[in-house]
Amino acid sequence: MHSKPKVLWIDGVSCYGCSHSFYNYPQIKEILNKIELIYHPLLPSSEFKIQKSDLLIIEGALKNNFSRLDYNLNELISKLIKLSKKVLLIGTCAVYGGMFGEGILFDKDKEGKFYKCHEKMISIPGCPPHPEWIAYAIEMIIENKKILLDKENRPKEIFTYTSHMGCVRNEYFEWKIDADNFGEKEGCLFYHQGCQGPFTHSSCNRILWNEVNSKPRAGTPCFGCTEKTFPKKNLFETETFMGIPANIPLGVSKRAYLTLSGVAKSLKNERLSKRLIDEDN
Amino acid sequence: MKITKKIITKIEGEATLKIHKKNNIIEFAEIEFWQYRGMEEFLKNRPYMDACVINPRICGICGHSHLIATSKAIEDALDVKITKKAEILRDITLGLEIIQNHIKWFYLTLYPSVKSKDYFKALEFTKEISKIIALIAGQFPHNSYSIPGGVTCDLTNLELIKIKNYLSELFNKYQHIMDIEGKSNDLEELFSDIPKTTGKGLNRFLVLGDNLFFKSNGDVKYIKEEKSTSLNKNVMYKDKYFEVGPLARNLDNKIIKKIYETFTDSVYTRIFARLYEVNLIFLYLLEIIDNIEINEKNYTKPLKKSGKGIGVVEAPRGSLIHEIEIENGFVKKYNIIVPTQFNLSNSTKENPSPAQSALMNEDEKLSDFIFKCFDICAVCVSH
Repeated sequence: MHSKPKVLWIDGVSCYGCSHSFYNYPQIKEILNKIELIYHPLLPSSEFKIQKSDLLIIEGALKNNFSRLDYNLNELISKLIKLSKKVLLIGTCAVYGGMFGEGILFDKDKEGKFYKCHEKMISIPGCPPHPEWIAYAIEMIIENKKILLDKENRPKEIFTYTSHMGCVRNEYFEWKIDADNFGEKEGCLFYHQGCQGPFTHSSCNRILWNEVNSKPRAGTPCFGCTEKTFPKKNLFETETFMGIPANIPLGVSKRAYLTLSGVAKSLKNERLSKRLIDEDN
Repeated sequence: MKITKKIITKIEGEATLKIHKKNNIIEFAEIEFWQYRGMEEFLKNRPYMDACVINPRICGICGHSHLIATSKAIEDALDVKITKKAEILRDITLGLEIIQNHIKWFYLTLYPSVKSKDYFKALEFTKEISKIIALIAGQFPHNSYSIPGGVTCDLTNLELIKIKNYLSELFNKYQHIMDIEGKSNDLEELFSDIPKTTGKGLNRFLVLGDNLFFKSNGDVKYIKEEKSTSLNKNVMYKDKYFEVGPLARNLDNKIIKKIYETFTDSVYTRIFARLYEVNLIFLYLLEIIDNIEINEKNYTKPLKKSGKGIGVVEAPRGSLIHEIEIENGFVKKYNIIVPTQFNLSNSTKENPSPAQSALMNEDEKLSDFIFKCFDICAVCVSH
């Protein structure tokens, strides 16, 4: 029998949301049974020691003069990266820095302190990342399967989508009908409420959260939490330029988007222009 | 006397315990937190609504409490009233956050400090709890569905029926962990070699929030924060240290009271109150969900642009306070006081905090266990 791959899970500057998100993976037991978890910041594991690993999972950002387990955090991460065969960065903090510091692979849009090791790194951004994405990455790595990556080391099978894809408010987006207010089923949140769905790489509306829902489905805009720009300022308002959203859906020219919006608005969809509950047909 | 330094982990971060001991008996313990993340600074000069996205990220296990405290602080500052429906929904999601926290804490944090135990049954349970939160709030952890003025969701009876059925199914399932009479095999097994009178606190209790069925017994104006020797700030009420949390806020329950009267505020009583609180929350949620008027408004837009406000909630670990100053729609000042600061202040031997008092005169080998019985959240402290 082959021995199980050794996995070391280390925490940088974090809120532990990545771990708690992973706990919601329905088959977490199956995954943990396939590996030898030599350290985890929350789950029962043996005493921490600096050692070799087949897979190093990093949750959280880097920060100068931050202590972790009596070591200097950045030095500790550096040692562990050197001793590992593969590195899985989970969460926007570990990939880009997020709100707490500097990322491992990137420092927002610049190359990060450990970019030189990018060949052995996989990025799973998200604040937090979806449990299924984390499970996917662990499985693919321990089974030595080839993961198709984009230029920010994100698996294309997860991040080639936008969080807009699969949103239940898509009909409103098609007909350019904006939401008047929060707390209503009707309307698209892209025009006023700051939704970043159409230009955020993630599959939140394709692989639902906790298997049942997503933020936009619950009336909350997408905050672009998988991107290097997270968290932008003014998260509940759409930045506009000459009356249209300043950031438009990925892959469309401004001119094309403007034309399409004009046409959709002029061909008013009567059904979607009122409260759904008031509609009889 | 000897002083040993110990780093306590698996507490959503870490703390340093300096134990002063004589013949392995703890004479005094210093509690230090050396991590700092600067959440309050991060909020400055942002539109106040951003706090609803930033603040849940204070903590991955109780971020929802921070979200609700944020909404309440802003509502207080801008004089906004929310509907009964929005209030009930917030109670449901916050109540569920408390439940998932207590179960994870018992099986993932506390149990392993004494003996090993299968923790997958805890995760199987908590993932279902997260699912109910997600039905209302979109996802768990880290949603932002509670905003100043109400909630972003607009539920139908379909979701309400589903939520109610989940609640009653999980309540029944919880009876195997601790039943409504307070019987729990897992709790008794945990204490098979530990005296139930171990680890007494200060026997002084404080409740500041009034969400769910909790009744406040104090006024937030008497709270004082003070610098300590590490990056944690000590918190006092009327110049005294108080214990906050499930024991403090459930002392009027007759089953918890009986245990308290037998063992006073020991580790056992504290753990019992926490586990039993889950039953009380389930029952309360099953009752209030029927009071939701589905056609009531979910959200009222705040009109004022400036003001000062305080939001207090009973979070999983006790009273959580958020204070905000808004000027022209932007955050001018923000201050957060978390429950762990009350329970784990780093004071003196003569005037100890609840956790310091619980550790004193106990066997050093139980230090990890006694420390963790307060359900510490290191990331919340190091906000």
